[in-house]
Amino acid sequence: MTAQLPASGPDLEFQTHVEDGRLWLQTCEDCDTAIFMPRIICPHCGSLRLAWHPASGLGTVYSRTVLYGRPKPGDTRPTRHALVLVDLDEGPRMMSRLPDTDPDDIAIGLRVKARVEGEAGAHVIVFDPAGEANA
Amino acid sequence: MTTRLRGKAAIVGVGTAGLGEAPGFNAMDIQALAVHEALEDAGLKLSDVDGLFTANMSHTFPAISTIEYLGLKPRWIDGTNTGGSSFVAHALSATMALEAGLCDVALICYGATLRSDAGRMTPAAEQPTYEIPHKPRYPMTAYAMAAATHMARFGTTRAQLAEVAVAARAWARMNPEAFERDPLTVDDVLSSRMVMEPLSLRDCCLLTDGAGAVVMTRADRARDLPKKPVYFLGGGIASYNRAVSEMPDLTTTAARDSGERAFAMAGLKPKDMNVLQLYDAFTINVILFLEDLGFCPKGEGGAFVSGGRIAPGGELPVNTNGGGLSFCHPGMYGVFTLIEATRQLRGTASERQIADAETALCHGNGITLSHQATAIFGTEATL
Repeated sequence: MTAQLPASGPDLEFQTHVEDGRLWLQTCEDCDTAIFMPRIICPHCGSLRLAWHPASGLGTVYSRTVLYGRPKPGDTRPTRHALVLVDLDEGPRMMSRLPDTDPDDIAIGLRVKARVEGEAGAHVIVFDPAGEANA
Repeated sequence: MTTRLRGKAAIVGVGTAGLGEAPGFNAMDIQALAVHEALEDAGLKLSDVDGLFTANMSHTFPAISTIEYLGLKPRWIDGTNTGGSSFVAHALSATMALEAGLCDVALICYGATLRSDAGRMTPAAEQPTYEIPHKPRYPMTAYAMAAATHMARFGTTRAQLAEVAVAARAWARMNPEAFERDPLTVDDVLSSRMVMEPLSLRDCCLLTDGAGAVVMTRADRARDLPKKPVYFLGGGIASYNRAVSEMPDLTTTAARDSGERAFAMAGLKPKDMNVLQLYDAFTINVILFLEDLGFCPKGEGGAFVSGGRIAPGGELPVNTNGGGLSFCHPGMYGVFTLIEATRQLRGTASERQIADAETALCHGNGITLSHQATAIFGTEATL
């Protein structure tokens, strides 16, 4: 007997869900662990019972780095491209960016909020400072 | 019982070729020269090789291309590709295949012309899907993030990272085959161009050409060959993630488990090691591996490497060939840890020879802190 395929694959499911502007994560219905990257099997317990739920979108910068690129024509300063690892409040960690934040303002421990960027079928999750104190 | 492998095989020949720059040659060309040298060193012929252990980033089927180029007819092939750690892991699987009688002469080999091919790591077809859109630069981004996390959590400083590069250079200055041999100070490292915070240019390994080959046989046969055998005492691997975003804790690598397995098989402890060869793709690697392999407590690696402790004349010699930081780094450095350990345990490392070295630890790291392999070797006296 061959394994039953779900209606669609996890990458497509992810793209379809985040279409509404929210971050969605899979949660294992057997061990109750939230999962990212999207998968077909739970890496914690091996269950196939993974369900999609909208996440809070909130997280904390776990690590950060800034890539110094060659200066653009007519400029003497290197371009700077900050990358972060964000620990989501639900548990999983993801690589991302804060596109509208100066690299110097991105510190380990910064609270951040997810937003969906990119075109249909190629959405990516990026972050902004959460500004929770003012919320 | 894994202890059945202790002392059952030995390195009997090593060779290198095309170190630094080999313009006009491809990976298979210089690999063949390294293999030829290793077999000559072992007093064996190509036709004696019946076990092949290889990996690279230039060929889809590295083992098969190697067989064809060299005219081998192996009885056993292991083409497990775990990144730069592959060859240290191959030392374990070669010992296993030799002991099981699957082969009698095991060849571990690697070649790459990264520098002559214009210095870009060949991007693998399979990259972490959910990282790529954010434009990381592999493998550097992962190591920079590990360094940033280590600094934030333990107070490790850029000057402490620089100590690793300075020690590597001091060793390289005693190795005529090293690519970078100019003097290097902590200030030089700190003032070199920032590449990926907190890593500057001198925190990063070289991009060179180079090939390395290692020949292993069962211990009984090794004793009849011309060179002093370097016995395999223990090995272990561990791997838990591919992408750095899937790594549970960026300050603790799977080397903790690969090291524990290798030490258990060898029946030895970190304090028993006379010389270490740790895959130093970036300065932070050495700090992480010294901690994870048990040479100092977690978080204290920065202080541990300071004051020249791992440099020539220091109490714990690390990367005596100059490492990936100053000797040679063609993309997958692991095989060179085996070669330098062999030279040290044979007592043929000339100016950089560690007096009375009886034990050596080799540690290979693969991809982006994704796979760790540890192998421990010793002289006849350690059996």
